[in-house]
Amino acid sequence: MYRFPEGLYVDVRIEETFETKISFKKTTLQQQKVRSNKGAFIRVFDGDRWYYSSITDISRVQESIDSLARMARPNPDINNHPIVKEFEVNIGTVLNFSERSVTDIPVEEKQALMESYLHLLDRPEIVHHTSYYVDNKTIKSIYSSKGTAVTFDKQTCGIRLNLDIACGESKDKGAVSKAAIYFDEMKDLYGFFTEQIEKSIQFVKEAEPVEPGIYPVLLGPEATGVFTHESFGHKSESDFMVGDETMKAEWALGKTIGQDLLTIIDDGTVLGNGYTPFDDEGTKGKKTYIIKNGKLTGRLHSTATSAALGEPLTGNARAVSFEFEPIVRMTTTYIEKGDRPLKDIIAEMDRGIFIDTVKHGSGMSTFTMAPARAYKIENGKITKPVKVSVVTGNVFETLAEVDAVSEEFELLSFVGGGCGKMEQFPLPVGFGGPYTRVKRLSVQ
Amino acid sequence: MEREFITIREKETAFRVQNTRINAVRTKDILKKGVRVYRDGKIGISGAVGDLPDDILIDSAVKNLSTNIEYPYKLSGDRKDHRNYNENPMTGEELLKHSEDILDVLRRDYPEFDFSERISAKEVRWTMTNTAGLDLEYRDAFISLGLILKEKKSANLFDGFLMYYGRSLDMDKFWAFNRDYLAAYNNPVPLPEADVLPVFTFEFGELIGFLAHCLNGERYAVGSSIFSGKLNEQLFNDKIVLKQNMDPIYRAEPFFDMEGTVLENDTYTLIDKGKLTGVFTDKRSADLYSLPHTGAASGGYDDIPSLQGAPIRFEVDSDDIKKTLDGKPALLVAVSSGGDFTADGSFAAPVQVGFLFDGERIIGRVPEFTMSSHLNRLLGDDYIGTFENKHLYLGEGLTLQGFYMKITK
Repeated sequence: MYRFPEGLYVDVRIEETFETKISFKKTTLQQQKVRSNKGAFIRVFDGDRWYYSSITDISRVQESIDSLARMARPNPDINNHPIVKEFEVNIGTVLNFSERSVTDIPVEEKQALMESYLHLLDRPEIVHHTSYYVDNKTIKSIYSSKGTAVTFDKQTCGIRLNLDIACGESKDKGAVSKAAIYFDEMKDLYGFFTEQIEKSIQFVKEAEPVEPGIYPVLLGPEATGVFTHESFGHKSESDFMVGDETMKAEWALGKTIGQDLLTIIDDGTVLGNGYTPFDDEGTKGKKTYIIKNGKLTGRLHSTATSAALGEPLTGNARAVSFEFEPIVRMTTTYIEKGDRPLKDIIAEMDRGIFIDTVKHGSGMSTFTMAPARAYKIENGKITKPVKVSVVTGNVFETLAEVDAVSEEFELLSFVGGGCGKMEQFPLPVGFGGPYTRVKRLSVQ
Repeated sequence: MEREFITIREKETAFRVQNTRINAVRTKDILKKGVRVYRDGKIGISGAVGDLPDDILIDSAVKNLSTNIEYPYKLSGDRKDHRNYNENPMTGEELLKHSEDILDVLRRDYPEFDFSERISAKEVRWTMTNTAGLDLEYRDAFISLGLILKEKKSANLFDGFLMYYGRSLDMDKFWAFNRDYLAAYNNPVPLPEADVLPVFTFEFGELIGFLAHCLNGERYAVGSSIFSGKLNEQLFNDKIVLKQNMDPIYRAEPFFDMEGTVLENDTYTLIDKGKLTGVFTDKRSADLYSLPHTGAASGGYDDIPSLQGAPIRFEVDSDDIKKTLDGKPALLVAVSSGGDFTADGSFAAPVQVGFLFDGERIIGRVPEFTMSSHLNRLLGDDYIGTFENKHLYLGEGLTLQGFYMKITK
C-alpha cells in the first residue's frame, strides 16, 4: 500500500466524505448541495517529535510520507518507544451503512421530505424561519507502519428548523432539530416538531425575567448532556493531565467525587453523532466508565496519553476532519439513568428552575450553560417560563451536588454545532441522560 | 450563461506545544474550489476540496441549475482589485526559531506555569472571478500564538492564555507585555469594593454577536429584531459609531463578500453617533425588503451566497483610558467563557480570568466574578468608550472597550 520508512512510526488516515445540505428560507429553496470530497492526514513519529501533514490530493500521500520522514530523525528502536508499543494493531472492515445509505437516497426525496415539514411553521408568531436538511456519510481508512489497516464508516442525517418568533414586543429565536442515523427515521416527525414549535412560541409569549440567585436546578436530558459534557467530560480528557502532577493528584482514580447515584460513561460504540467504531489512530471504540457510583474510575485517552499515564486505551483520539491531528475527545457521554420517577423528583421541589433546552455551554473552572427554554418550579410543579442568561457552577463542587437522577432517560444527537476544543470545532458528539437535579447552581 | 469561480488556498505551518515544548509540527496545503453558473435568473453551484478541473465543476454546476433556485440579481463585475496584506510573511523556519525562543524563556523564567497548545503561521489566497469582469484577489499571511497557561499547582484544566495574532511579531513588545501580564498573574489582588465597576474588554464576542443578530436586514424587515422599526432613531450613547467593516486589517478575511461586493473604504455605517442608520444586507434581502445593499453575503466557497452574519466593528471614539478613569480602579477581562444575552437584552457572563487595570497596565489578578448589565445600559449611560489598544500586545487592530457593569463575587 504505502512504503513506510525505516526507524519511524507512520500512520495515514484517508477520509472520503459525502454530504447533502438542503436549505430553505421560509418556503423558498435556498440551496441544494451534494458534495463528495477526499482528504488525507499523515503522521510520522521519530520518538521525539510528531510530524503531520494534511493534503487534499490523495495521490500525494506517499510523497507526503517521504517529505515528513526527511524532517524526522530515524530511530532504530522506534518500535520499543512506549507510545509506539501502545498502538493497537487492528485489521478489518466495519461498514455498517452500506445498506440504507444516505448516498442511495435521491436528493429530490430528501428535499421533498424537508418541504413536507415547512407548513408546520406557518404560524403568525413565526415571522421568519430558515430550515435545513443535512446528511453526512464518511468512510475512513487508517493504515499504520505497525500493520493497522482498518476501513469503517459512519452516517448521520437531520433536520433543523430555526425560528424567529415575535409576539408583540416579545421577540426571540428558537431552534428545533432532530438527528438520526437513517433517512427513514426522519419521516413522520410531524408530532415531534409541532410540539417543539408550540413550546418555543409559548416560551416567547410568556417568559419573564428570572430573579437572579442560587437555586436547585432540574436538568432535562439535553441540559444533563451539556452539564455532563462541560462540567466533567472535558476534565476526563487526559491530554490535560499529561506532565501535570497536581491534576493527577486531584483527579486520582478511586477518588469519590459524587454520590452513589452518579455514574458517567463515555461510549464510542453508541450509534449517533459520537459513534466511533475506531478512533482516528485506529484504536477500537470502547465503553469507558469515567465515574461509577460516585467514584472516579477512568479517563479518556489517545495512544500518547495512555502511554504517558499508564492507563488503558479507550479509543478517544478524534480529529474534526482530515485537516487535523487526532486529540483526546469525547464520543457519546452521558449520566447513567437512575431509578426514581421524574414526577417524584419534581414533587419534592418547593422552589427551583427547570432547564429544558440549552443554547451553548462551556467548561473551565466555572462551567456555564445558556438555557434556551427554562421554567420555574414552584410547590412541586413546573410552572412559568423564565428568561435566563446563564447558569454557572464550580466544576470541583457541582458533581457532588447532584442529588437525584430519573429513570426516564434519553440519548441525543444534534444537527448543527458540536464540541469545540481549541482550533478543532465542531466535532460531532452524542450526549444526554436522565433528568438530573443539582442542589445549588447560580442562575442569572 | 455567466460563470463565477472562487478558489481558496491555505498553507499553514503549526507547532503543537505540550508541557512548554514543541511536540509536533504540522503542515497543511489545502485547496478549495467553488463554481457558480447563472442562466435565465437561476443559479447552479458546485465545489470540491482539491484541484478538480474547472470543466468538471462547471458541468456539475450546470446540472445543479435543475434545482431552479432563483438568483435574478446583477452579478458584481467590471472590477479588478488585487490586494496583498503581507508581502513578507514569516517563514516556517523563522516561526520555529521564534517559537523555540519563546518556549525557552517560558521554561526558564516561569517554571511555575505549564504552557500548551499551538503557534502557527498561515498564508491564504482567495480569488473570486467571473465572466462579468470581476477579478478579486485577497492574499494575506498571519501568525497566531495561542498558548494555554496552566499553573502547575492548580487543578484547573487551564488558568488563562498567552495570545497574539498579527502579520509580524515584535519580540521586544511581546515580552514587554507578557512579562507584565505574567507578573500580574502572579499577583492576586481582591476585587475592588463596589457593586458597579468600569470593565474593559478587548473581545466582547457576546455583544458583537447580539448586535449582529439584531442588525441583520432580514430580521429587521420581518420584525424579529429588537431594532425593527427603529431606523433613524437614537438608540444608544451618541459617541457610538458601529460599522459593517470588511477591512482585512482587522479580521484577516477577504475585503469582498461572497457576492463579490467591495464597499467604499471597506465599510458601511450601521449606527452613527448612537443613531440606527442602517442594517446589513445581501443582494437578495436588499431587493426583497427594499433596503440598501451593504455587501454582507456569507456562505462557504461552494454555497449559494446568503445573508447570515456580517463583520461589525465599533469605531474608536475615545482616547486615553487612564485619563478617562481618573484614578478609579477598573477591571480587564482576559477570559470570559459561557455568558450570553437574553432575547430582550439582559446580559450576564462569568469572568474566569480578570485583572485589576489602571488604563495602561495590568496590576494584579482578581478572583473570578460575574459581570451583568443590559444592552441599553451597556451602550447607553454605562458606555465608557472604545479605545485604540496602545498598551496590550495581543494582536493587530484590537480595540479596548469600557462599560460600567454590575459585579458579583
